[in-house]
Amino acid sequence: MRDRLLSGVTIMLTTLIGVVAFLYPFWLPTLAASGTGVAHAEDAPVLLTMIVGMSFVTLLLEAQRAAEHALLVALLGVLVAMNAILRLIDVALPLPGGFSPIFVLIILTGYLFGGSFGFLMGAMTLVVSALITGGIGPWMPYQMLTAGWVGLSAPLCRWPIRALGDQGSRAETLLLAAFGALWGFGYGAIMNLWFWPFASGPLDQHYQAGIGLGAIIQRYLAFYLTTSLIWDVAGSLGNALLLAAFGGPILRALRRFARRFAFVIRPESAGEPL
Amino acid sequence: MNPASSPALHPISWVAWLAVAISAITITRNPLYLLLILLALALVAEIERPAGRTRPIDPILFAAFAVTISGLFNAVSVHYGDTVMLRLPASWPLLGGPITLEALAYGMTNGLALGALIAAFAAFGSALPVGALLRLVPRAFYPLAVVVAIAVTYVPLTIRQARQVREAQQLRGHQMRSWRDGLPLLLPLLIGGLERALQLAEALAARGFAAARPPERLRLLLAGGLASAFAGVLLRVAWGQDLVGAALILLGAAMTLAVLYVAGRRTPRTHYRIYRWGRYDALALGGAGLALAALLLPWPARQSLFYVTYPTLRAPPFDPLLATALLGLLAPLLVRLRPRVNAKSKITKGSQ
Repeated sequence: MRDRLLSGVTIMLTTLIGVVAFLYPFWLPTLAASGTGVAHAEDAPVLLTMIVGMSFVTLLLEAQRAAEHALLVALLGVLVAMNAILRLIDVALPLPGGFSPIFVLIILTGYLFGGSFGFLMGAMTLVVSALITGGIGPWMPYQMLTAGWVGLSAPLCRWPIRALGDQGSRAETLLLAAFGALWGFGYGAIMNLWFWPFASGPLDQHYQAGIGLGAIIQRYLAFYLTTSLIWDVAGSLGNALLLAAFGGPILRALRRFARRFAFVIRPESAGEPL
Repeated sequence: MNPASSPALHPISWVAWLAVAISAITITRNPLYLLLILLALALVAEIERPAGRTRPIDPILFAAFAVTISGLFNAVSVHYGDTVMLRLPASWPLLGGPITLEALAYGMTNGLALGALIAAFAAFGSALPVGALLRLVPRAFYPLAVVVAIAVTYVPLTIRQARQVREAQQLRGHQMRSWRDGLPLLLPLLIGGLERALQLAEALAARGFAAARPPERLRLLLAGGLASAFAGVLLRVAWGQDLVGAALILLGAAMTLAVLYVAGRRTPRTHYRIYRWGRYDALALGGAGLALAALLLPWPARQSLFYVTYPTLRAPPFDPLLATALLGLLAPLLVRLRPRVNAKSKITKGSQ
């Protein structure tokens, strides 16, 4: 019970930090305009990047508990390899917009094996595909964190699926497809924000007198409509289509193996591994 | 070019170099210095690229793209600045208003910074092989490093298996007419992969693999450290409480580092390849240190870093001494002057 409480508190804290840090371009200039925190607003991007890094380390250490047994380490390693190849296809072929096949396995494993496993699946997929393509960049920690969130949040589908129908029902696949469609937009919108601290520079150099929250949101909307909307629609539709078409058979295969991977010898005090 | 498995510099030297490059890009918005940094970093990326490996992204091409897009976007969305080039009808939602030269120049400068950032990471990724990058993972994340190592090893195996599955399905008359026909390829690949994972797990267990679960008190300390640092950041940034905020941030950071250290000590690790510090590391760190000192020390030339296009565009200042110091980022290339004997890393068995 205490173990689950600690996990819950850690996940909530890191999510709150992530939301505050990713949305800082919206609230910081407003705060500067009100005069309360303007004295140190210029070091905010560095401090927020640092706190995102710390919360990522915390979340990774917390989720790492899902990979403490040889069975789960091997399962994660092999599934991550498969997902990294799917990402290679995404990089190599001219797929439309933000369409990427990697989220199918991230969402399904998160839904089936738990949030920690899903988080590791998302984060590790991005690391491995970056390593094999040489695509290490400043976006990587943000991609890892966001793809991790996709897997971490997948167990949220369990309750509505239980309410709508049983395992293996059509409702299960459709709900997971809708969840994937939502994350298609969510992933794009969050990833738009990673370069703001670098693109905008120190606050005293881009801050515009009189600019309010409304104007900043309007500017972001203009940016989103012109650069991202079509891209994210493709990502969202791709997730939904792939999950609707392949989600059911993949879930059946994973469920069959889940029983075999759940065989773990461990001390009496510990809970279920999956 | 580097032999794929032995970087000429210690991996930590490259991390320090990358940190200085990012600091330089983040601190200045002077387009002349940014252009100089971009060219220097792109040169390092190109020379460090191992022979035969294609560029995942060309930093100069990316910078040209980013400068164009960022400049155009800033020009149509920020209607501020004295030099009006044209006016879009005010009735146009979001875009209407004066298009100024200052907004265009500011956007282009931001694009230049993004391009330089890409160049810095391209150089870092080219210089270090996968093995050296894995070594940078803290020991506390040992199970995850094992996962990454397994995945990197299994990628070529999985590609081979995908080819076999495709050939087997083709023999059965399977044709790829639409994306839906991917399922008969995907499912056998997934099931085969899961079978292999079971075999691998048995091999790992037979060799005594076990990852220690971090004790509850360490997890509590980590969550406490994060909460403390977050409270410190909010106090400092949002409420102007400088001292209390800074103290809480330091406390949180210290708690996090302590947890990583203690968790890492529970996982002893031995190394097959030992990286040693040498005089080229000193040269690379010296060059990066020179650039960092020029950026941070309070000397007259530092003022030229802080340039802004608003409200009226003027020529950006340029200080040759500061520019020379920034070229310290080229120092890793001095390794190319060494004799062609691989003296930096020795293949020996032992621990670091």
